Amino acid sequence: MLTIWNKVTPRVPLPERVDGIGDVAGTVDEKPHLSIRNLGIRRGGRWLVRNLNLEIPRGEFVAVVGPSGAGKTSLLACLAGMLEPAEGEVEYHCNKGCRHRPLDFRRRTGIIFQNFMLTPNNTVLSNVLCGRVGRYSCLRTLFGFPYSDKREAFSILNDLGLGDYLYRWAVEISGGEQQRTAIARALFQEPELFLADEPVSNLDAYLSGRVLGILRQEASLRRRTVFCVLHNPDLVDRFADKALSIDPGKPEGWRLRDVH
Amino acid sequence: MTKQQPPPHGRFPDVKWHERLNVLNVSLVIFLVAVVFSSPALQGSGRDLDYLGNFLRFAGNFFPPDFSVTGVVLLALVETFQMAVMATFFAVILSFPLAAAGAQTVSPKWLVVTARMIMNLIRTIPSLIWALIAVAVVGANSLAGVIALTFYSTGYLGKFFSDAFESVDVQIAKSLRAIGADPVQAFQHGMWPHAKPLVWSYSLWMLEYNIRSAAIVGIVGAGGIGVQLFFYQDYQMWDKFATVLIFILALVTLLDFLGEWIRKKVTNRMNRRALAE
Repeated sequence: MLTIWNKVTPRVPLPERVDGIGDVAGTVDEKPHLSIRNLGIRRGGRWLVRNLNLEIPRGEFVAVVGPSGAGKTSLLACLAGMLEPAEGEVEYHCNKGCRHRPLDFRRRTGIIFQNFMLTPNNTVLSNVLCGRVGRYSCLRTLFGFPYSDKREAFSILNDLGLGDYLYRWAVEISGGEQQRTAIARALFQEPELFLADEPVSNLDAYLSGRVLGILRQEASLRRRTVFCVLHNPDLVDRFADKALSIDPGKPEGWRLRDVH
Repeated sequence: MTKQQPPPHGRFPDVKWHERLNVLNVSLVIFLVAVVFSSPALQGSGRDLDYLGNFLRFAGNFFPPDFSVTGVVLLALVETFQMAVMATFFAVILSFPLAAAGAQTVSPKWLVVTARMIMNLIRTIPSLIWALIAVAVVGANSLAGVIALTFYSTGYLGKFFSDAFESVDVQIAKSLRAIGADPVQAFQHGMWPHAKPLVWSYSLWMLEYNIRSAAIVGIVGAGGIGVQLFFYQDYQMWDKFATVLIFILALVTLLDFLGEWIRKKVTNRMNRRALAE
């Protein structure tokens, strides 16, 4: 099981019928999954991005590249609804044609934060289970998550090599292990959209390949859209469908190119 | 050995005299002025008294402690402990919502102001006054003590707990909100694990404090060991009084050690990685 992820080639042909997960599965999308119109992000008195127009179809792996301070994290924050854009709008489309603002789409957005955002003195397992807080009411989760969820979280953690760390606190494990915990939380959430901010910054080449392989597979096999900030051009070439590069000097100098 | 570089502007940038006038320095000076101003408080009766002799004579009454009352004192001590436990229990329950309402990171501004005002009001009234009120309402028994201590410690725990909530990094709770958590879940999974050890440690401290307070509220008849304390004091049985003090001291010390041990366990676990590196 552990090696399967690694063998997944970046270009997996799309299966006709996707395994049945929620409302994501098995419909032909005419509409793009996500449309960004005329987006402008302004922070600290300067424009980071302006006039950004994107239509991303479902199941696309978009790598976001650019030097530090270019606004990659701010862009992801905008997509997550955590940051209000200065102008323009972000819109998500569901299969039935309805449209959502990022804030209404929260439950279906899995985020891997740059600094992980794990609860430090909570167990690895609880941190991963938190991925599904949006699915249940606060009363349901008041005394813990369903047992089936725990088993599922365990199998994801096991695949990422964290099976032994289930009951360790997040502070007690290394940076790379924390990052994998954060990734496990996003995977466990089973979102329609992944927003990953440098998800492999603390991982070695082997684990980087494996994690991005998993995200690639989520995109190809389960038609989940992935936005992933990456610094390594090799990884962009290996895993991404498209690369969005942001220029720190020119807010309107963004460029979306196909990766071949 | 490299040649020493001159500073970029030639002159070493001194701190200007007015830059030293920050809040800390100014308030320190004001406090020292206040100390001088308050010196009249040290004035005694003005008569020539033998302070040391007085003290030794009075303190001598306490020795040797009369342990013949051990049985009675132990019974009263158990009642005191029960009062303190019940009061702490109710206070934790009552202060929890109050603290959440009073934490700036959790609640809107108007609620914070209201909750803090309530907590300040409760804290302003001393435990002895709470006890007087409770005795007037339910009579002179341990229930009055529980009620008095509950109110009193709610004011303190509310303050401590809301400080604990405020000390937690809100970013984690915000990030949980971003993946769909409702406010209660964000609090439960993002803030509570971090605040829990603090809350528990404050609660233990409050229990210890309540045992000491329970000795005081007993003086107005609200049950517990304070009744004994007041009785021996009234009849000038200082040797028995000393026994009571010894037992209170023993219990408080025990709880103090217990609390310290628990605190250490928790902080050690939180810092384990930092220590290992």
